[in-house]
Amino acid sequence: MTTRRPALSRDPAPRAAARSLPRGSGPLLVLLLWEALARATASGFIIAAPSQIVHHLATHAELLLRALGTTGWAALRGFVWGNLAGVLLALAAVLVPRGERLLSTLALLVFCLPLVATGPILRVLYGPGAGPQVTLAALAVYYTTFLPVLVGLRAAPQGWFDLVRSYGRGRMTELREVRLPAALPYLVAGLQIAAPAAFLGAMVGEFTGAERGLGVLTVRALRALDLPATWSIAGLAAAVSMLAFAAVGWLGRRLDLAPPEVLLAPPVVRGRRAWSGLAEAALALGVTLLVWKGSMAVFGLPRFFARRPEDVWSYLVTAPGAGAQRQRLFAALGETLVLAVPGYLAGLLLGAGLALALALRPRLAGAVIPLSIALRSIPIVATAPLIVWALGRGATGSIAVVATMIFFPTLIACQHGLARTPRAVLDLFAVYDASPLLRAQLPAMLPAFFASARMAIPAAILAVTTAEWLATGRGIGALLATVASTSDYGMLWSAIALIGLASVLAHALLASVERRILSRTSAEQLAR
Amino acid sequence: MRMSARPDIRLEGVAKSFGAAGRRIEAVAPVDLVLAGGQMTALVGPSGCGKSTLLRLIAGLDAPTEGRISIGAETPDALRRRAGLAVAFQDAALLPWRTVEGNVALGRALARKPRDPRAIRDLIALVGLSGFGRRRPAELSGGMRQRAAIARALAGEPDLLLLDEPFAAVDALTRDRLNAELPPLWEARGATSVLVTHSVAEAVRLSDRVLVLTPRPARVAADIAVPLPHPRNADVLASEDFRALCSDVTEALRVHQFPQSVAAQ
Ligand SMILES: Nc1ncnc2c1ncn2[C@@H]1O[C@H](COP(=O)(O)OP(=O)(O)O)[C@@H](O)[C@H]1O
Ligand SMILES: [Mg+2]
Repeated sequence: MTTRRPALSRDPAPRAAARSLPRGSGPLLVLLLWEALARATASGFIIAAPSQIVHHLATHAELLLRALGTTGWAALRGFVWGNLAGVLLALAAVLVPRGERLLSTLALLVFCLPLVATGPILRVLYGPGAGPQVTLAALAVYYTTFLPVLVGLRAAPQGWFDLVRSYGRGRMTELREVRLPAALPYLVAGLQIAAPAAFLGAMVGEFTGAERGLGVLTVRALRALDLPATWSIAGLAAAVSMLAFAAVGWLGRRLDLAPPEVLLAPPVVRGRRAWSGLAEAALALGVTLLVWKGSMAVFGLPRFFARRPEDVWSYLVTAPGAGAQRQRLFAALGETLVLAVPGYLAGLLLGAGLALALALRPRLAGAVIPLSIALRSIPIVATAPLIVWALGRGATGSIAVVATMIFFPTLIACQHGLARTPRAVLDLFAVYDASPLLRAQLPAMLPAFFASARMAIPAAILAVTTAEWLATGRGIGALLATVASTSDYGMLWSAIALIGLASVLAHALLASVERRILSRTSAEQLAR
Repeated sequence: MRMSARPDIRLEGVAKSFGAAGRRIEAVAPVDLVLAGGQMTALVGPSGCGKSTLLRLIAGLDAPTEGRISIGAETPDALRRRAGLAVAFQDAALLPWRTVEGNVALGRALARKPRDPRAIRDLIALVGLSGFGRRRPAELSGGMRQRAAIARALAGEPDLLLLDEPFAAVDALTRDRLNAELPPLWEARGATSVLVTHSVAEAVRLSDRVLVLTPRPARVAADIAVPLPHPRNADVLASEDFRALCSDVTEALRVHQFPQSVAAQ
C-alpha cells in the first residue's frame, strides 16, 4: 500500500552540513554536557546525571517495569474507552445537528474538570483498584478525539454530498461513503494526541492512592526528593508516550491516509445572535445541573461524598461558615489564576511566534518540528516537578510549567495553519518579491491558532493544578490535595464546580474574540 | 415495469436566486423550456451565467425559487430517489480514498445496480483509463479525473444524464476521441442528456439542440436545432452544415455577451 506514493525528493544540502561532525557525536556531546552540568549543580537538587539515571534504571529495573506495565495497561483501557466515547459523541453531534452545540458544551465542560480534583472523588467511588486510573485516562483523551473527528465528519466538500444526493441516497449512505472515510485521518490525528494523554491520565489517577504504578513511584520519589528516581520515571514516561505517539503515526501512514487539512479547527457557527448564545449557555448549565443531580440519584451515591449542586450552593452561600469557606476557595483560585493566565498567554504567544519565525527560516523548521512533536508527548505530570525544582517554587516555575504544556501543541497547530497558505498565493507574493508573512500567512494561521488556544484552556488547568499539587503547595491544586486527604468533600465539589464554570467562561470569552478576529481575516472559515 | 427511459424535461417559469434580500443574486431568470426525451441538449453561455445552477435544478439538488420542473411524469426528487439520473460534476467530485475502479463502482452501488466488475472495467477502458483502475484520484491529472467522473456517471445506467463541462480539463486530442466514442453509449440507452460546455464545436457535434444562454441571470438567448445525421462522423464534421451551425452559435454567444461591440460594428 505504501509504495503507491512517489518518494519525495529531499534537499540534500542541510543533511550534508549536519554530517560534518562524525555520526552520533551530537547525542554523545549532549550526554557529556548533561553529566557535567549535573555534577556541577549536584548541591542544587535539580538535575540528575545520566550516569545516575542509568544506575537507577538498572538497579530498579524490575520494579519500574512492573509499574510501567500497570500504568500502561490502565492507560490502554482508558485510551480505548475514551476514544470510543469521543467518536460516538462526534457521530451523535453530526447525526443530530440540533443537539450539537449543547453536546459540544457539555463535552468541553467535563473535559475542563481538573483531573486532580476528579481523581480523589473517583477513588472514593471505585475504592481500590484501577477504576480511577482508567476513568481519568479516558477523560483525558475523549475530547481531543471528539473535536477532530467532528471536524473530519463535517469537513467533506459539498460536491461529495451532492454526489450522494444525486443518487437519491440519504444520511446513512452519506455517513458510510463520505463522512466516515473523510474523518479517518482526523481520527488518527486525534488518536496520536490521545496516546500520551491517556498515559498522563492514568498517572494522575495513581496519585489518588493507587497501590502500584508509575504515578505511585513518582509521588514516592518526590516525597523523598529522590532525584535520580524522579528523572528515571519522567524519562520512562516520556519514552513510552513518544513510542505510543510514533506507533499511532506509523499506523496512520500504513493506512495510507491523506493528512487532514486543518488539525483541530473548531466548528464555527455563523449568524448567531447574542441572546441565542446566552440561551445556549443557560440550557447547558441547566442540563449540567440536571445530569449532576440525576446521576447521583440514579446510582444512589451517598451524600457524604457525592455532593449535589444544592450542597455546593449551601456550602458556599447559605451554610454557617460559608463566608470563610468561600474566601478560602476564591483566594486559592486567585493564586492559581495569577500563574495560569500568564503561563497560558506566554505559551500561546511563544508557540505562534516561533511558528511564524520558522516560516521565515524553513530550514530550521526541519529540526525544530520533530523535536516539538517529541516533547509535546511527554506527560507534564512527570516533568512539572522538575521544572518547578529548576525554576523555583515562586511564580516563574509554575508559569513555565503552564507555558511548556501549551507551547508545543500551539507551535504544531500554527505550523499546520501556516502550511495551509495556498501555494499559488505564496507564488504571487514571490513574483512581487513581497513578504507573504503578514498578509497571507498570518491570516491562514489564525484559525489553527485559535483552535489550539481552545484546547489549551484545559491543558493550562491541568498543568497549573498539577504543579501546585505536586510541587509548589499553593493555589487551588494544593487546596484540592489538602481537602482530598482530609475528606472535605464540600470544598472539593465546590472547587470542581468553580473551575468548570471558570473554564467555560474563559472558553466563551475566547470564542467571542475568535469570531471577531476571524470574521475579519478569514471569512471562508466562517462560511460553512 | 419502469416507465419509458426517454423522459422529457419540462421547466415551467423556473427561476433561481441566491442570498438574502438586499444581496440577492439572480442566477436563473424565469425560463420555460421543454427538452425532448432521448435527446442531447447542449447549454452554452458565458461563465458565471447560471449553467451549473440550471443543471442542479434539473437534478433536484437545489430547489427553484419559482416555477416547477418535471421529468417525464416525475419530479426531479422522485427521479433521484429511484436513482434515475446521474451527474458528472464540473469538479469531478471523486472520493480521494477510493481508486478509480472504486469510484466508478460507487456509481453503480449508489444507483442500486448489481455489481458488475466487467462493466466497470469496460467503462474505464472506454474513457481511456485502462491501467489506472487501481490509482487514487490524487495521482491523476485533472482531465483524467473528469473522465473517471464520466465513467462513474455512466456506470449507474441513468435515464437522465447531466454533464457539467465534463471535458473542460481534458486535452484536445483525448477530448476529440471522447467526443467520438461516448455518444454511442448514451444514444444506445436512449437516455435524455444535458451537456454544459464552453466549446461551440463540441456542443454542435454532440447535441441535437443547442441553447445559448445570456449572461447572468440565465435566459435562453438562442435555441438552435442541430438536424445533423447520427453518427457524427468525419464527413458530417467536415460538412458545410456543421460549420454553419457552429457560426450561428458563436454569433448568438457574441451578440449577447458583448452587445456593445455588435452595436459599434
Ligand atoms: N450556492 C450559491 N450561493 C450563492 N451564489 C451562487 C451559488 N451558486 C452559484 N451562485 C452564483 O450564481 C451564478 C451562476 O453560477 P453558475 O451556475 O455556477 O455559473 P456557470 O454558468 O459558470 O456554471 C454565479 O454568479 C454564482 O456566483
Ligand atoms: Mg459551472
